[in-house]
Amino acid sequence: MPQQSRRQFLKKLALRSSNAASEKTPTLVCVFLRGGADTLNMFVPYADDTYYKIRPTIAVPHPKSGMGAESSLKLDDFYAFHPRLAGLLPIYKEGRMAVVQAVGTDNPTGSHFETQDQMEHGDAYKKTAGGGWLARYLRTRFGNELTPLSAVSIGPIIPESLRGAPGASAISSIDEIRIKAPSENPHFLAKALSDLYAAEVGILSAPGKDTLDLLARVETLRAVDYKPANGKEYPDSGFARGLREIARLIKADVGLDVACIDLDGWDTHFVQGGAAGLQATLIETLSSGLAAFDLDLSGWRKEVVTLVITEFGRRTYENGSLGTDHGRGFAAMIIADGLRGGEVLGRYPGLNEAGWILGPSGLDVLFDYRSFLSEVLTRKMGLKNCKDVFPGFQPQDIGIFERA
Amino acid sequence: MKVTRRKFLAASGLIGCSLPFSGCSNLSGLIADRMGGGIPEKMPLTDGLRIDPIFHLLSRAGFGPRPGDIERVRQQGAKAWIEEQLEPEKIDDKLCDLRARRFESLELDPGMCYEFKREVLRKDLSRYHLLRSVYSKRQLLESMVEFFSDHFNIYIEKGDCIYLKATDDRFVIRKNALGCFRDLVLASALSPAMLVYLDGKENKKERPDGIPNENYARELLELHTLGVDGGYTQKDVYEAARCLTGWRLYSGKGRGTAYFDPALHDDGQKVVLGTKIPPGQGAKDVELLVEIACRHPSTARHIASKLVAHLVSEEPPSTLVKKVAARFTESSGQIKPMLQEILFSKEFESSAGLKMKRPFHYVVSCLRATGADTMAGDPVIEYLTRMGHGPFQYPTPDGYPAEANPWLGTLLWRWNFAFALCSNSIESANVSLDRLFSAVGLDETNGRKNTAEVLFSYFVGRRPGQSELAAIKEFVNKKDLEDGLVRAELTGLILSSPAFQKV
Repeated sequence: MPQQSRRQFLKKLALRSSNAASEKTPTLVCVFLRGGADTLNMFVPYADDTYYKIRPTIAVPHPKSGMGAESSLKLDDFYAFHPRLAGLLPIYKEGRMAVVQAVGTDNPTGSHFETQDQMEHGDAYKKTAGGGWLARYLRTRFGNELTPLSAVSIGPIIPESLRGAPGASAISSIDEIRIKAPSENPHFLAKALSDLYAAEVGILSAPGKDTLDLLARVETLRAVDYKPANGKEYPDSGFARGLREIARLIKADVGLDVACIDLDGWDTHFVQGGAAGLQATLIETLSSGLAAFDLDLSGWRKEVVTLVITEFGRRTYENGSLGTDHGRGFAAMIIADGLRGGEVLGRYPGLNEAGWILGPSGLDVLFDYRSFLSEVLTRKMGLKNCKDVFPGFQPQDIGIFERA
Repeated sequence: MKVTRRKFLAASGLIGCSLPFSGCSNLSGLIADRMGGGIPEKMPLTDGLRIDPIFHLLSRAGFGPRPGDIERVRQQGAKAWIEEQLEPEKIDDKLCDLRARRFESLELDPGMCYEFKREVLRKDLSRYHLLRSVYSKRQLLESMVEFFSDHFNIYIEKGDCIYLKATDDRFVIRKNALGCFRDLVLASALSPAMLVYLDGKENKKERPDGIPNENYARELLELHTLGVDGGYTQKDVYEAARCLTGWRLYSGKGRGTAYFDPALHDDGQKVVLGTKIPPGQGAKDVELLVEIACRHPSTARHIASKLVAHLVSEEPPSTLVKKVAARFTESSGQIKPMLQEILFSKEFESSAGLKMKRPFHYVVSCLRATGADTMAGDPVIEYLTRMGHGPFQYPTPDGYPAEANPWLGTLLWRWNFAFALCSNSIESANVSLDRLFSAVGLDETNGRKNTAEVLFSYFVGRRPGQSELAAIKEFVNKKDLEDGLVRAELTGLILSSPAFQKV
């Protein structure tokens, strides 16, 4: 990268962080549980007998079932955590985590791709606003002040939610971000690549430039070894390793505004399991990863907001192959500062057994997912309103945050 | 040159095993070279301002030219080449077989595959897939195999899919990729890998009030046939799922093969997409269902539109889609007439260089264009995995995204692949840039003046534009072009350029 533009670039970055000192916008970390997570088995409505009736083999045992480690973990008179969510229990009890029940979309197709696409685009069913909701958030909030590391996605592919975001990068670790030049002198190559991509007028022009900007920035970050705070290493999972990279970027203060990370495998049509089994393993990965992330960032709590969403919940009853088919409403999670935490917010819609043969049923949707996201953006991320992020949408007040 | 080149070879670990024919690190490569599969001594160049039509055809209907291909197809004629490609069984593919027919695990009955470790099967499947794409002369077939492997995606990490994918690849995808679409759908519906991947084998009616597993039925209508807006209802999904109850997989003897268990089949009347399937049809239900779905006009449109997107443009021109859909309908779903309609169209011809290569296409085209000698070992596969495009590694049934956008974050990894390949630092893939330089006329006596133009034209199929040329020339400026490292970086740079990401 040429000296001059590099300096200009760093100057821009420095300007941004000094401005932000007084009212720093937190990094928004979006965890997407791909496949449609069965949140009914994560936040167990143990006081509802119907739950045990319609899930004879996969229900998670009552907190007082006397089944030891298989018992769910009581939160209040109605709900309990899945036992493998234990890692998040202290965070929840400290009021830094909240759960919002019966969130979802108006999409009736029951299709993973349609619904994921709709949610990532921040759309209503069959209406497109253009691009991803996170991209629109970034543009609305930061305009031209975006840095090359404004938006990072952990994994190989940039998610639809960042479609249209200038300079979104897909990575699995920041150590990978370098040109491996045969001559071990990448600067000539970087210069030539920069010229070649500057000459490009099509779709590749911006990604080329962004990639080269990123390379220059990361070179400076790399000089330091990373040690998680409190000396506690992350668990050994791809998901946790991804979160570790996000924490590293947050602490390095490189101007990370949005980070996306997926946890796949929630499409549990077949032998889903209850307190143990297929879904329980995923829940463990989710909770141990998030707990380590939270601990690592204990000095940065005001600077991180973590959301966990999925495309839909699953049907309330189990199917003939001991799994659950596609449903509708799900429980969304948030870990942040200033929450009405330690509560399952929203109303429990009840387990509707009627009409289950025709099409996806499952939990009724009481809050459009955009109400959940809007409240986060306006209360924590410094947006006045969400009309440019979710055009034409009137959000409902959920009350996720403490009243000022 | 002598010193630096030696140093360079030593660094890449080549000296110990280097053969007199420096392009070949293994016996297959050596034989291939002797039999005319290597780099020719001289290659005329395409140097128009626009991409050469033959170059375009080979890049789009296949994975790009190997050294010498352009001249061969020019002599044969584009039309004759297309017709030849549509009859792949008549094309001699010995040189490819020599490399790709060595994976025992892929040739066995599915039951025997269980004898292998998952690790071995994963490697064999990926290597076979990559090697066929790189070396097969049946390039159009390989392109269609890529297309249908996404259309009927199987994620080999789910359940037992890894033991069953080789059978699916042979008897579903490859067997029918240029055949009849309905046969392809039916074969896929009963493919053991698909029965595992989308839970078909768990779809059963054991009790009068048994509830079917809708997973496969939904994707059959949404992804494989009608398309999401194709006009089916949730009720159709449910009815289709009922048709599909009772298909199981043997677990003991015959492990990994499918059978129909009438006791687990819902044999009542079904109504799918407005057509009645009378009760008592048993195992025939699936054939009737596939027939109904394939005959639906939305299926013709959906498949035509996806094929045009694959071969012409991400935003398929509607006039061409209509024509291709009409070929589908009038031939009852034959794939060849659709391909003819597309490959002979004006839209195809005028779309040169306007699509972006997905990572798999990129990697294969690099290996082909450089005339690389590879057995597609782990290091090559790792690059694909890193770019999120490892063979059969896409978890969800919609298959890897066809459009450019989701892949824009992979540039850095493409660049690093190109530099590693050209400097021979990928173990199990070797290139001989000296032979390539010499074949395009850049030998030691006349290589200095127009190296940048010549190399660019060879790899991209057209002359570089002014700013492209300026960028490369500035890099070359005053460097010693006989230095192996300089040659590696220059070639890597062209493979990293925006122009080579496109097709």
